[in-house]
Amino acid sequence: MTIRSGTVYPFAALCGQERMKLALLLTAIDPMIGGVLIRGEKGTAKSTAARGLAALLPPLAEGKAAPFVDLPLGATEDRVIGSIDLEAALAEGRASFQPGLLARADQGILYIDELNLLDDHLVEAILDAAASGVNRVEREGRSLTHLARFTLIGTMNPEEGDLRPQLLDRFGLAVAVSGEGDPVTRVALMRACESFERDRDAFAGVWAEAQAALAGRIVHARNALPHIALSRPMQGFIAEICRRNHVAGHRADLAIARAARAHAAWDGRDTVTAEDVTEVAPFALLHRMRGATPDMSPPPPPPPPNQSPESDQPDEDGGEVGSTLSPPPLAEPTGDSARGGAEDKDEVQAIGAAFTPRPLGPTPRDSVLRTGSGRRARSLSASRQGRMVSSTPRRERDDIAFDATLRAAAPYQLSRRAEGPGLAIRIRPEDIREKRRERRVGSFLLFVVDGSGSMGAHRRMVETKAAILSLLLDAYQKRDQVAMVVFRGTGAETVLPPTGSVERAARLLADLPVGGRTPLSAGLVEAARLLDRVERRDPATRPLVLILTDGRANAGLGGGPPHEEALRLAAALGHRFAAARFIVIDTEPPGLIRLDLAGRLAAALAAPCLRTEDLRAEDLVHFAKEFQS
Amino acid sequence: MSLIDPVRPLYPFAAIVGQERLKTALILNVIDPSLSGVLIRGEKGTAKSTAVRALAALLPDIAVVEGCPFQSDPDDLKAMSSEVRARAAAGERLPIVTRRVRVVELPISATEDRVVGTLDLEHALTEGKKRIEPGLLAAAHRGILYVDEVNLLDDHVVDVLLDSAAMGINVIEREGISVSHPARFTLIGTMNPEEGELRPQLLDRFGLCVQVEGLTVPEQRVEVIRRRAAFEADPDAFRLSWAEPTEALRARIVSATALRSQVVAEDEILLDIANRCLATGVDGHRADIVMLKTAKVLAAWAGRDKVVATDLDEAQTMVLPHRLRRRPFEDVFRPDASTATFRAGLDHGKMI
Repeated sequence: MTIRSGTVYPFAALCGQERMKLALLLTAIDPMIGGVLIRGEKGTAKSTAARGLAALLPPLAEGKAAPFVDLPLGATEDRVIGSIDLEAALAEGRASFQPGLLARADQGILYIDELNLLDDHLVEAILDAAASGVNRVEREGRSLTHLARFTLIGTMNPEEGDLRPQLLDRFGLAVAVSGEGDPVTRVALMRACESFERDRDAFAGVWAEAQAALAGRIVHARNALPHIALSRPMQGFIAEICRRNHVAGHRADLAIARAARAHAAWDGRDTVTAEDVTEVAPFALLHRMRGATPDMSPPPPPPPPNQSPESDQPDEDGGEVGSTLSPPPLAEPTGDSARGGAEDKDEVQAIGAAFTPRPLGPTPRDSVLRTGSGRRARSLSASRQGRMVSSTPRRERDDIAFDATLRAAAPYQLSRRAEGPGLAIRIRPEDIREKRRERRVGSFLLFVVDGSGSMGAHRRMVETKAAILSLLLDAYQKRDQVAMVVFRGTGAETVLPPTGSVERAARLLADLPVGGRTPLSAGLVEAARLLDRVERRDPATRPLVLILTDGRANAGLGGGPPHEEALRLAAALGHRFAAARFIVIDTEPPGLIRLDLAGRLAAALAAPCLRTEDLRAEDLVHFAKEFQS
Repeated sequence: MSLIDPVRPLYPFAAIVGQERLKTALILNVIDPSLSGVLIRGEKGTAKSTAVRALAALLPDIAVVEGCPFQSDPDDLKAMSSEVRARAAAGERLPIVTRRVRVVELPISATEDRVVGTLDLEHALTEGKKRIEPGLLAAAHRGILYVDEVNLLDDHVVDVLLDSAAMGINVIEREGISVSHPARFTLIGTMNPEEGELRPQLLDRFGLCVQVEGLTVPEQRVEVIRRRAAFEADPDAFRLSWAEPTEALRARIVSATALRSQVVAEDEILLDIANRCLATGVDGHRADIVMLKTAKVLAAWAGRDKVVATDLDEAQTMVLPHRLRRRPFEDVFRPDASTATFRAGLDHGKMI
């Protein structure tokens, strides 16, 4: 639903979406819950509800309305966090602080639409302030702290790529929304929207009473909140729920406790009951459970219903995350385990072993992120395209950041003016700052995967998939683009066009079949077509192309023997896309006679060739990373 | 400013051969700008750009506060910049000019600050005061924002475009500037799907979507060449010869615009819409709302004050195709027994 003017759609008039409304109301009652993340498909009134909530908040002590601050995606860091006041600097030569959006949102709502599209460093700064209630500014040699007690509401569409787990964890509550399945509700929704658009003020008038009732109930609940008791058994119950769902850290416990108290207050009770807890627990668990992200099965699965402390179902809980510790559930086997049987479990373990040592653990991940931002720094835009992320005194291009230059010059204006006549503003060469711009799409990974029958032998495909998967995880954290070409049978196909959605890629990978002949040439041609498209779209990209094959080309395009044809095409491909980097991953099974066809392919591409023996996930990830930088 | 050059002679809209669906979609948006735009998908050389540019000549006149860079509407407080609103509140008689609705072109190479607006440096340096230098979104307010090859647009620009298109307000928080101004525009984009898909989020923002193809009837192709040649030989004479159909078209748009607010849709029609959307499996409810609006405008365009089922048939072809959920991969590929393995692997990898 699109609101196209200052008049906000009344919260009370929203049709359906009860869970989302409840989560928003809870955070309005207790802003310390730590914000709400609304995750869901397009066009489900996510933004409308968030904006509507602001109108329900009680006014501040001074009688002013609670602020609702909309953080646009194009916001620069100085405006979010605050910086030197340009006007004061220019007019009076005074360095005074101009508060940013975080200051403006104090005691109100900070709303970020499409939060997952915002730059990670901004999200981190905002979450820091949200958690501590204060904003610390260290800019232009000034340091300052001010209050920033706001309720953070973010919306996101997982199709656009997910937030990193660390960031997800810092939202108090999360709620998944999807469209209403009932045609009658949809009709009611269309009618409401119709009359809202016809006459907004009249519509608001019709709902005024219901709005006032809601607002009154929020105030009442807020006042009651300090007197709500949370008994010891209830605290134990909350801890048990969190333990069962294998959430890391204690944020979930705290969020559930706060939300349960807010829920009791909302219902006008003075004691938290088990119902309060089970009602709000999904909000705190959805984004913290393993497997909740990346979203593997749309719509996001609700957490297992641990209805009460009495109903012990250890089997089901164990089955939720991987059956290494507990026996598989007897009651309702999932479709996959029903098909695969014992062999499936072997595969789980094999991959687990391959992944365990490195490099995705917390400590190595940190270093990954550092190189990630380092890589981003090197891929800073050389052209004047991209967004300004900061300024630098280094002079390289003629892309002057005037605001930063003026800020640098401002403190000296009075003293410089005293030196004699001149321009209104005395700017010296040492004041000049340049813009540092960043382009969002850093790298692009293209997987060219051999899906022919020979790949099925000796479980080669299992290991190949494991390798791809680990690279996908890496791409997920780095927000890379990925694409996948598969060649098998009679031809090649771009099964995954360039996308930022690694979930899609992972889902696709899981179901990737093997069988048929090996049309390697067709695969290379398809890869060239895709690379060409990517290059045209963004000439600055340096794609990383991973060709996973045993090289046994046995179906050509009619240009001679299939294998020779493929080698000729490979040479041309390497030549044509000089900016791209190629890696061939030889999946030839070990045996007495090795044909090393993949090695010849790599030579034709002037690319390194990894053997399947080296194909342990961490080696490949490191290798790829080394090669990218 | 990338306004479409008014001096260059425009090919008359009425003289475009074929492409009925494209023409209808564009006209519907002129009648009801709240349909939020058209995405035109198709290969090169199918009159996409010609049609959009020609549309400018059909657009109605609007009253604008003179000298306002934000195209403030003198009669609507919500469509005014804060400066103009303050002037109106102070009782000032606002100077008004009447001009045609604008088609503002957003070039692919546009940077974020040119689109959103940024600090007016000259003003800051000479006057010691901050002032915003309005961007393309300000210029496009109450008009049409035209993006050729929208799928090649820089990601950041797409993000800010989405932000404003969704809210009808452009919020500028950059480089020491904090301003917001109304930015309600009809977004018209063209794309060639071969060059890559548009992100689903942006796809959904386009109210309507039409697929254009080259004409297949030989007589029509001949007619295209004939008219084009006549236009290029003498644009003014050609336009004159098409003045009458153009005027008729404009008159029909005016009467449909007047009729639109009276069009009603019965409950059965709404239920029909909901069922069509549910059956095709679209995300969210935007499809329902847009389909209802489109059907109403189609009824008005046909001179009726009531929506009928055939309106839905037509509306559906423009509202639903780009909103269908992508075909799940499971349908394309045989489900592999190792699905669980890789899901577990992914979760496992995330947790270590």
